[in-house]
Amino acid sequence: MGKLQTPIWESIKISLASLRANKLRSILTLIGVIIGVMSIITMVSLISGFNKLVADQLATLGSTTFIVNKFGIILSDDDWFDAMKRKDLTLADYQAVVDGCSECEEVAVQKVSNRKVKYGREHFSRVPIVGITPNYMKVVALDDIVDKGQGRVITEFENDHRRQVVILGPELTEKFFPMLDPVGKKIRIGDVDFTVVGVPKKRGSFLGDNQDRFAAIPFTTYQKYFSNKSEPWEGLEFFIKAKDYPTMEKAQDQVRAVLRARRHVPYHAKDDFGMVSAETLMDLYKQVTTGISFTLVGIVSISLLVGGIVIMNIMLVSVTERTREIGVRKALGARRRSILLQFLIESVTLAVVGGTAGILLGVMLAKIISWTTPIPAAIEPWSIIAGLLVSTGVGVFFGVFPAAKAARLDPIEALRYE
Amino acid sequence: MLIHIRNLWKTYDMGQAVQVQALRGLDLDIERGEYIAIMGPSGSGKSTLMNLIGCLDTPTEGTYELNGRTVSQLTDDELAYIRNKEIGFVFQTFNLLARATALHNVELPLIYNGTLASERKKKAAQAMAAVDLTDRAHHKPNELSGGQRQRVAIARALVNSPSIILADEPTGNLDSATGAEIMQLFNRLSKQGHTIILVTHEHDIAACAERSVHLRDGKIEKDERRAA
Repeated sequence: MGKLQTPIWESIKISLASLRANKLRSILTLIGVIIGVMSIITMVSLISGFNKLVADQLATLGSTTFIVNKFGIILSDDDWFDAMKRKDLTLADYQAVVDGCSECEEVAVQKVSNRKVKYGREHFSRVPIVGITPNYMKVVALDDIVDKGQGRVITEFENDHRRQVVILGPELTEKFFPMLDPVGKKIRIGDVDFTVVGVPKKRGSFLGDNQDRFAAIPFTTYQKYFSNKSEPWEGLEFFIKAKDYPTMEKAQDQVRAVLRARRHVPYHAKDDFGMVSAETLMDLYKQVTTGISFTLVGIVSISLLVGGIVIMNIMLVSVTERTREIGVRKALGARRRSILLQFLIESVTLAVVGGTAGILLGVMLAKIISWTTPIPAAIEPWSIIAGLLVSTGVGVFFGVFPAAKAARLDPIEALRYE
Repeated sequence: MLIHIRNLWKTYDMGQAVQVQALRGLDLDIERGEYIAIMGPSGSGKSTLMNLIGCLDTPTEGTYELNGRTVSQLTDDELAYIRNKEIGFVFQTFNLLARATALHNVELPLIYNGTLASERKKKAAQAMAAVDLTDRAHHKPNELSGGQRQRVAIARALVNSPSIILADEPTGNLDSATGAEIMQLFNRLSKQGHTIILVTHEHDIAACAERSVHLRDGKIEKDERRAA
């Protein structure tokens, strides 16, 4: 017995012809899959863009650096009220840490409050004024001023003598000194004049925190002019660099022991201060985004499921409508396989065209979001491939049942169908 | 012998232990090149016999040999193969694909046996010429008259050079003048050596054939031959 072979491209041609014959219906059918795939691409792009940004930003903190402050990481109102009751970190605490932590290479101090910054007629109100010890530059990657920004860092000498010098964030210098070299210019912070000595390169914003808008001055100068007991942020923050990565944990333990002893924390009580490292931030970030990712996967799955059901529904309608056509094709020698393929190719084509449109729209949407908002986007090649695979899968999965129904039709019944 | 049917039974199960015996032990032989009409009132088993001869269905009992091959117990796909190679259907309602051109409709059986596109076009064009419709090849069915549509359907039946042309009430949807035209076409095809089986209840249509078989209650009541 011979075998009938219908070449696959003939099946494809038949399927495409019937999709073209029902253009509007085909397009409407696609919408579910388009939205589903578009969401995949957009979400993945935004999440991975955000991941990259966070990783970059945390890298500037460095793997051997950690921060000690009063608040630590605040995740709830309770955390906040607890932290508000804590004692501020003091200069005496700082000295104790410097003396008691043998694994710490550098211990820097920072103190922050908001002030008005003025140059000529231009001004910014509420700029974070950061008082820092000179070794702060060694702890935090702010010393790329030297190679990538303009000017220099704050020196020990300037700190020792309470000099009125400032490292100014690029956002301020751009407004104050467009087209001019800001180094050497005099600006006014609050009521005090400062000379600009350095400008770091732009870093953009991170988690809603504009990192280009600040003024860093020597710690001693800060104490002299801006120290104010009524400020809630009066407390110090310590920026500590461990000697190397393996001793990081030991350095943290030493700092913890010193501070707990000084602050009389009972043996079983929690720390009454916070310790934050790149690692803890990354862990926290991962926790949060994993939750978000799962939610998004859920939403996307639902929209794809709905899209798939729409395709199945339309294919079932199409099979019923074309019962007679199926009968004719069978009478003329179409095998089950040919009919099955014809309808399966139709549903897969629908899904893949929808998937492709979804990919294009998703990429566009991600781009538009990253252009118009501070949220970054990184289009992942794997998400495009995943989008195509998923939409093909939807087409096959939801197309098999209607196609099998068509293939099983009895030719006599089908020919008699009105 | 082209068709050799012995003791053919077809029983339909209507549910609730009700059975309808559409064919009751029918015997029929048809030679190659015959022009035969199958007649009978409704309920006589005429449609059932046509479906069986056309390999759209399999009998409950009995044997059916087509072109020396027993086809009474074949699978769906094997039946599809036989339909494609051996049988050209002509239906009362034409059954053309509305969206396809006349030529594409004629090509359909060739698509299902994998004939190459170039050869397919050639054969389809030949079949269109055989029914005098070369100039209508690129029209869609709704741009054609009823008679033209039926000629496209006949071209489709011819295109694969089948052993049998099986026509079910081919003039049923046509006015009598057009019907006569179609019958002339069948007569011509018969003279060219095609085996034609007409299923009809109209005596003047059956009169075109050289032999008419009358069915009643699932059996052959009368088998008449006319001198050509």
